[in-house]
Amino acid sequence: MSKPQAIIVGAGFTGTATAHDLALRGFDVTVIDRGDICNGTSGRTHGLLHCGGRYAVKDQESAIECIDENILLRKIAPMAIEPNGGMFIALNESDMQYREDFISGCQACHIPIDEITPQQALALEPNINPKLLTAFLVPDGTFDPLRLALSFAASAKKNGARFRTFTEAKSLIMNGKGAVSGVNVVNRATNQKYELRADIVVNATGAWAGEIAEMAGSIVQVKPTPGVMVAYEPRFVQRALNRLNKPGDGDIVLPQRRMVVVGTTSFEVNELDYVPVLEEHVKIMLERGAELIPGIKHAKMRGKYMATRPLIGGGMGRGSARTFKCFDHKETDNVEGLVTITGGKATTLRAMAEKTADVVCEKLGIHSACVTKDVPLLSYRQYYVLPN
Amino acid sequence: MDNNNNQPTPGKFWTWFNPIGRQTGGWAFILNRITALGLLFYLSLHLIVLGQLAKGPAGYDGFVALMRNPISIIGELLVVAAGIIHGLNGIRIFLTTFGIGVTLQKQLFYTLMALALIIILVFGLRMFTAA
Amino acid sequence: MSQKWNITLKVSRQKAGETPHFDEYKMEVDPDEYVLDAVERVWAFMDRSLCYRHACHHSTCGACGMRVNDVEKLTCITFIRDVTHNAGTLKVEPLRNFPVISDLAVDMGSLYSRLEEIGARSVLPATEAEIENPPSKWDPADQQYIRLADCLECGLCISACPSAATSSDYLGPAVLAGAQANGLKRNPELLEIVDTEDGVWRCHSAFECTAVCPSFVDPARRIMNLRSQIIKERFGNLFRKA
Repeated sequence: MSKPQAIIVGAGFTGTATAHDLALRGFDVTVIDRGDICNGTSGRTHGLLHCGGRYAVKDQESAIECIDENILLRKIAPMAIEPNGGMFIALNESDMQYREDFISGCQACHIPIDEITPQQALALEPNINPKLLTAFLVPDGTFDPLRLALSFAASAKKNGARFRTFTEAKSLIMNGKGAVSGVNVVNRATNQKYELRADIVVNATGAWAGEIAEMAGSIVQVKPTPGVMVAYEPRFVQRALNRLNKPGDGDIVLPQRRMVVVGTTSFEVNELDYVPVLEEHVKIMLERGAELIPGIKHAKMRGKYMATRPLIGGGMGRGSARTFKCFDHKETDNVEGLVTITGGKATTLRAMAEKTADVVCEKLGIHSACVTKDVPLLSYRQYYVLPN
Repeated sequence: MDNNNNQPTPGKFWTWFNPIGRQTGGWAFILNRITALGLLFYLSLHLIVLGQLAKGPAGYDGFVALMRNPISIIGELLVVAAGIIHGLNGIRIFLTTFGIGVTLQKQLFYTLMALALIIILVFGLRMFTAA
Repeated sequence: MSQKWNITLKVSRQKAGETPHFDEYKMEVDPDEYVLDAVERVWAFMDRSLCYRHACHHSTCGACGMRVNDVEKLTCITFIRDVTHNAGTLKVEPLRNFPVISDLAVDMGSLYSRLEEIGARSVLPATEAEIENPPSKWDPADQQYIRLADCLECGLCISACPSAATSSDYLGPAVLAGAQANGLKRNPELLEIVDTEDGVWRCHSAFECTAVCPSFVDPARRIMNLRSQIIKERFGNLFRKA
């Protein structure tokens, strides 16, 4: 019996993780992307392996997803993760008012937290604001965005998945019955045009999900919501640093190699392919970052960039849920052969892939359970070593 | 393609001598290679000349007369310069290979080349005044 | 506020099987933005056929390495003001010594397979990775922190290395640096791999690798240190045999 064929459009977190899941379930997978792995939103993720504490008060669904996946990723992808934990610190009375909700929220979402005194916090992290009022140790982590995706991609490749990067989807191939049966692509490296046929096309283009869905005459309500990140030298903290408050701008500082990255803001755009860095946003990062780590005020800036979140929940900006959704286009607009997965957070990539692969298997009548929870991922370098 | 699609090929040895985009260590590398080639060329000439000298006094006198003109002296000075530069830089390479002064390799190069310049000038003066 | 410069971007273009040529793009840039931003805008607004690699935009992924005005750089952290001037030219080419996939994107498969061969670690204990600003009373061994390795595997060092230009078998600075970071004590099997013609001895001390490394690896120092380790090991073996 021949394997069911899947085409995944998009080689970011969702695309690579879904390729890994489907390959393990016996699919013949081809992943296409107009650029290289993680050239979109995924590459520019902050890199925070969320413990979920940030969402534990107002978005408990996301929070629980985060802590569960956090624990799993540490197990299956240790080569791309710094598992050094994180800290939430309160700097003023307003922050302290959030404390009770934070504690009960984390409890409700089974996120282990450990409250410590300011002295203890400063002993661990001498560069944080010495005026902190309290601190919580949480199981955050730092991950390297590209290497995390490559680990999934490498494992997918090992199980037969093909990655065709610099290959752009120009249009979807519709069969006579209004169903998607493939993708017309162009290899941008060779200018070669060709067709890819499949039993199912997975739209994993994140913020661009609407553009691909449109090719099938479908609508996906994804709100591209960029935010700024600013990297400073040197590495002021050894673990993730969060502000103990309602999620807002510039309240996360994450160590990444020999820098720290302050993030982020939230605003909507229409032009997806290039989002310029807004100087007002960079200023906000400097101010808010310096509140958490005073040294940032005079630190050397190493980089600044924008990343575009794919938000799908109801509400605007920060009010939007950070959960993910898998759309079977047969159900939403009677287009067979196409499934869209969007929304979500980097930390939940494996869960998003599981959900997507479940939907795909159900659609094709394939009985194959997800095993990605227990499969350690290959070294990310294997993506480049394994033959195409 | 001739350049093997941007990949390494032995034929690209001419790139060793391209100083564009290089920094101090790269210039030292180029200088060492050029002086090495120069010294090699000189060595070949030297052996040929010695062969001539084996022909006896007539050959020798003719050769010495040739070597007294300013152009020859400049040539000899170049050989001396090549030897000094190559030798002193060689000391730097020797030290850094054994892990001594690696982080100071730039300063070492500048210092040694300044020394080389002084020695070459001294030699040059002596050679031209003696002539 | 933000300035505006008018520059000409000269970008190396090459589709499969073609000889490379330069395309010129006149554009307005802010000198405080990065070379990668300019390249990205060429793709987004001027020429959708351009292929280039990029991911993190903050010098942790190593994907955006290119030659900018003949010098290897990570374009995401290279300010435009540092490499050109108003009314100037900005030349962008792919890295050297790797096969070009298209335009500015190269295939670094050889680097990755060699890193795998020597077992370079991508994460290591903080006690082995240098820590910036360690707190005075802080004992890293006590905290058991894990750090992502400094080396971004970006390939700039291999592109800049004159030995790597002429030898396709040379392991290269990044790989030797990775081997040194592991050390011959921890991984004695590395001796046979690095103490070879195409291992540490192919390095001819150009120091260009350290000059272009954007991530504090200092490969040249590590190669020399690895030589010391090899010599100690070989001498030691001599006496052990006697």
